[in-house]
Amino acid sequence: MMGLTSYLVISLILFVTGLVVMLSRKNIVAILLGIELILNAAALNFVAYSRYVTGNLDGHIFSLFIIVVAAAEAAVGLAIVIRFFQIKETIHIDEATQLRN
Amino acid sequence: MFAQLLFLMSALLTVGCAIAVTVTKNIMHSCIFLLGSLIGVAGLYATLGADFVAVTQIMVYVGGIVILMLFAVMLTGGKDFVSRAQNLLGLAPAMGNKWTYATGLFVATVFLLTNISLMMNISQAYPAKNFGSEFPSTVSAIGKLLVKEHVLAFELSSVLLLGALVGAAIIARPRKQ
Amino acid sequence: MNQTLVSYLSQYEFYDILLGLFGMNAGLLAFTIYLLFTLAIVGLCATIGGLGTYAERKISADIQQRVGPNRVGPYGILQFLADGVKMITKEDVMPFTADKFLFYLAPMLALIGVFATLAVLPWSSGFMMADLNVGIFYLIAISSLVGVSVFLGGYASNSKWSMLGGLRGASQIISYEIPVTISVLSITLLAGGMSFGTILSHQQGTPINWFLFHNPFAFVAFFVYFVGALAETNRAPFDLPEAESELVSGYHTEYTGMRFGFFALAEYIEVFVVCGVGAALFLGGGNLPFDVSIDIIPLQLVQVTVFLAKALLLYYVVIWVRWTFPRLRVDQLMSICWKYLTPIAIFNLVGNAVWMVMFNGKSVADLMFGGH
Repeated sequence: MMGLTSYLVISLILFVTGLVVMLSRKNIVAILLGIELILNAAALNFVAYSRYVTGNLDGHIFSLFIIVVAAAEAAVGLAIVIRFFQIKETIHIDEATQLRN
Repeated sequence: MFAQLLFLMSALLTVGCAIAVTVTKNIMHSCIFLLGSLIGVAGLYATLGADFVAVTQIMVYVGGIVILMLFAVMLTGGKDFVSRAQNLLGLAPAMGNKWTYATGLFVATVFLLTNISLMMNISQAYPAKNFGSEFPSTVSAIGKLLVKEHVLAFELSSVLLLGALVGAAIIARPRKQ
Repeated sequence: MNQTLVSYLSQYEFYDILLGLFGMNAGLLAFTIYLLFTLAIVGLCATIGGLGTYAERKISADIQQRVGPNRVGPYGILQFLADGVKMITKEDVMPFTADKFLFYLAPMLALIGVFATLAVLPWSSGFMMADLNVGIFYLIAISSLVGVSVFLGGYASNSKWSMLGGLRGASQIISYEIPVTISVLSITLLAGGMSFGTILSHQQGTPINWFLFHNPFAFVAFFVYFVGALAETNRAPFDLPEAESELVSGYHTEYTGMRFGFFALAEYIEVFVVCGVGAALFLGGGNLPFDVSIDIIPLQLVQVTVFLAKALLLYYVVIWVRWTFPRLRVDQLMSICWKYLTPIAIFNLVGNAVWMVMFNGKSVADLMFGGH
């Protein structure tokens, strides 16, 4: 049951749900939620391959860096969301049509 | 037995909560389901013997990112907590007309078929191994890797984090109009 | 190699007898041992949490020269049971405009986050549920669920007071996590490992061999840890999330009955856990002052008693601090964390690292008395 394939299937489901959330929502925070799901799918794949295929710890290092990048991305992304809300008073993605106000 | 039980519970939590994130209309609830999904992923890491990554996942996501998301929702949400997008079935908050859905279905089918063919190869090349219940500690090995072979990436990521911290503080600070 | 309770017990003879009773089914026996031990620990901690409310009132009464609860049982010690019965039988009120799902979820999350930390708490050198090699890191990580629950409790009640309390609580908890984690990191630096077993085995029973007196930086780190832990558990003088004078009761204003009880229980048990971790990291945990060459169960129980005594002493200090210092303002709270505690903690971390390199990992006692 705990083979490589099952982890890949779970990772696939995570990726697809993340993609669906990203594509189908208009709320910027929801889009960021989708990005987190996609990043997690990638990190899970790295660790699964690291255990079942390569046998060393490079996959662990890679997923650690993915987590770090996700943290940085969430911080900057949410700061942009809050700033955008201060200017436009909405977080609808369709309102984001200008590079400067 | 314990590992398989943990795997089953984590997998169900991950998949169930990921699907719930998709179909929930309330963005606040979506954040909480995301939290469940991320904890499930941490459990999956634990079944893979990646103890350090699992705990880092919980630390960063539960303690940091999800709370940040909740803060952002609260500071920006107002009346837009609940998604009111028009959709076909009235289930998931997804917008678009029938052409969007048809294209989406087509893409999803192609994607799924490609993935199934890929995974058939993988499952034949790497059949399920029995690792037993022994999980060697990864902490010291990861520590050595981080400061020896991957030291450049390690330092770069610290610079990235510092940049993100300062950048986020500058972007989100209140400005006089 | 994670040492667990079962692998510890399996070195004794009675384990084989038990294994025979269970028909050589090691998995079932392990499950039973874990189950029993979990029930025992949760029961013990719930009692400690309940007695915490009693201790809080009695000590505050002592400090303010009052009598305190003295009606139920001898010296009023059964007061917490009466309170528990009262809370269980109370009507479960939910505000009409509350977010039902999150309102139900928040107290559960608080309890889950606190009880999950008990899995790695080192009661003695043998009696810990699992000596994870990421033990202390796991404990810090999983206890941040409490921050989420505070935030959700504040949000879901849909009331202004709760909302303000929840926002304050979440920002306070994630801010003070930083100095606490960095202080703990300097101890893992000294011990050379994140598991509680490693940390305890590098200390001895006599105070001079505790990590508290290992070097001057570790001494300061303890106080940074303690102040940060007070703030993380929302205790006075950092109890802004539930500041009675401004916010009624903060994030649990709208909770009644046992849901409020969950929040209160989680808070008291978290204080105990934090004190226990402080005792294990800095005060030598359950180590006995004399050398124990034989390892038998009664000695382990003595270790548990020593550990409990140290943890409860810190618990007393927490309550003492609460009834001595006035509450801080929000801006003072944040400036203490970001302008004072975090730089001090980082300086301590660097100082510890330099000390380890310069003196080859020897403590002050080793240098003075020429130890190992």
